Amino acid sequence: MGKKELKVAFLLALRSLQRGSRSSAILTILIVGMCFTNMIFLPGLFNGIGQSITKQVVDYEVGNVLVSPKSGDQYVTDLSATLDLINGMPGVERATPHFTKGATLTYRQRILGVSVRAISPNDEKYVSPLYTKMIAGSYLGQDDTGEVIIGKPVAGDPSIRQEDEFQPSLGGVRVGDSITIDYGNGYVKDYRVKGIFFTGWSQADSAVYTTSTDMALADPKSVDNADYITVKAKPGYSETFIKNELIQYGVTPKVQTTADLLAKNLGRALQSFAIINMVSLIVSIIITTVVLFIVITIKTINSRRQIGILKAIGVDKEVIMHSYGFQVMILAVLGIILGLIIAIALAAYMTIHPVVTPEWSATLYLTPMDLVMNSLILFMAALVAGYVPAYQVSREDIQTAMRA
Amino acid sequence: MIKIENLEKIYRMGSVEVRALDGINLGIGKGEFLGIMGASGSGKTTLLHMLGLLDYPTSGKITIDGTDIGTLSDYERTMFRLYRLGYVFQDYALVPDLTVNENVCLSAMLRKDRTPEQYGVSCDDILRKIGMYDRREHLPRELSGGQQQRVSIARAIVNKPDILFADEPCANLDTENSRMVLDLFKEINEEMQQTIVMVSHEDWHKDYFHRIVKLRDGKVVSDTAT
Repeated sequence: MGKKELKVAFLLALRSLQRGSRSSAILTILIVGMCFTNMIFLPGLFNGIGQSITKQVVDYEVGNVLVSPKSGDQYVTDLSATLDLINGMPGVERATPHFTKGATLTYRQRILGVSVRAISPNDEKYVSPLYTKMIAGSYLGQDDTGEVIIGKPVAGDPSIRQEDEFQPSLGGVRVGDSITIDYGNGYVKDYRVKGIFFTGWSQADSAVYTTSTDMALADPKSVDNADYITVKAKPGYSETFIKNELIQYGVTPKVQTTADLLAKNLGRALQSFAIINMVSLIVSIIITTVVLFIVITIKTINSRRQIGILKAIGVDKEVIMHSYGFQVMILAVLGIILGLIIAIALAAYMTIHPVVTPEWSATLYLTPMDLVMNSLILFMAALVAGYVPAYQVSREDIQTAMRA
Repeated sequence: MIKIENLEKIYRMGSVEVRALDGINLGIGKGEFLGIMGASGSGKTTLLHMLGLLDYPTSGKITIDGTDIGTLSDYERTMFRLYRLGYVFQDYALVPDLTVNENVCLSAMLRKDRTPEQYGVSCDDILRKIGMYDRREHLPRELSGGQQQRVSIARAIVNKPDILFADEPCANLDTENSRMVLDLFKEINEEMQQTIVMVSHEDWHKDYFHRIVKLRDGKVVSDTAT
């Protein structure tokens, strides 16, 4: 095929689309656009959920690297020395200990079992954005005692009756109220609620935070022990680098990156997402291929006589076949562009209005690579769908075609 | 220029055989304006399709300027039609999505020996000649039958083919438009020494032909100069 032949094929394709049935062309473009949107929406949403969970795990649970007790140990021991060692390493922004203790909260007639997390408030600021999530009152001071901050779901809503609650709460605690915490070891104390926070991460929002200084009073073991240490990496340092460095420097407890933990805990969920994504992708490709196949088949059947005439006046069958190929390419490209516009608009909308559930909040997470790959896959499917009927009809003999 | 030897075309419809052409022998010289006449079903159009490489004979041989067209491949037949033959169809057969200008230029655009400037000039000239230059941006559906047939003739002769085939080009036209078309053929034949083979069943068309071949039941029954 020379340049002249391709030029004529393109001219025939363009004119057929320009001057043929406009409603059919628009409908086809819409269908391709919708299929493209479908191809990337579900994977984009799942990726968004994955990203959201990862971010929340990093922000409120692990940091970048989690240092937890060795197998058989209950706590990370020798806490001061371990923290000094970790904080002194290159690439470490800050390491901060967590000590969690089960407790019972009492507020008026309500009793609620929760986890009380003891943190070092100032260090925690380097590792977690919790301090930015206060919706009432204020964050903990470094050496506060007798004060706690609680998650919004724990505080509860006074307008909701206890039996109607989705999640048990204290029924409407406000900043400044006093709640009683019973640690179950005989240590019972009244605390003033200093602040109420909401992170969107259910495990954090279901907890009560106090200072390590206060926890030392409730449980002296927490003074030089921690359930785990969360480590935040400085920008530019990878989790793996920090993990390897910790191991190399002789940090003896168990060291895991966020990716290690997510692979273990979310591995099955991510696999399920991948399977659903694949099914969704295949269905979209089949729909697009079938639609374009039908559209081009109908076009070629309706144009058989014209194809016969073109062949009669010396237009080669390859030119005729490519003219239908070009039509499919134009329809597919316009459909993909429409799909991209819809997808980008949806992504922008969902960035402002994420999908929020009690467990996580998610946006549509689309990478340029996802968009390019899906565009290419759809384009290739469209080519196959268009060229098969075009190939068949262009090989029909002139007499049969002209008699159609 | 064209030599037809023992040409046969048999259509098979189930167990029934229809002998559309039955041993045709004919020669057509350069610059001739030949009329093929006969009743409906006599084999006129079938013969024209064989000569125009639009269909394959069951047996026999057609030679055009020394080329046995039965030996040509599918692609070579297409190129033969593009470079050496022109067609005018009974129902004009214009491409509905293309303008008058695009219809006329289409086959010229494909020729490797024509630059865009050359075929642009050829198309303009031919459209002026047939009086359709002012309507070159119109679509076929915006033209009358006579105008469409003139465009169809322009498309057929734009490449200056060796032979022009016309299959009852006046069948859908009134007498005035038919005369206009035939006058155009005559002019092309005289001015350009264009060989024209035209199928017709109208008696008054005889006046335009140099020679008339009459067919009946797929056989030549008369071959007379006018």
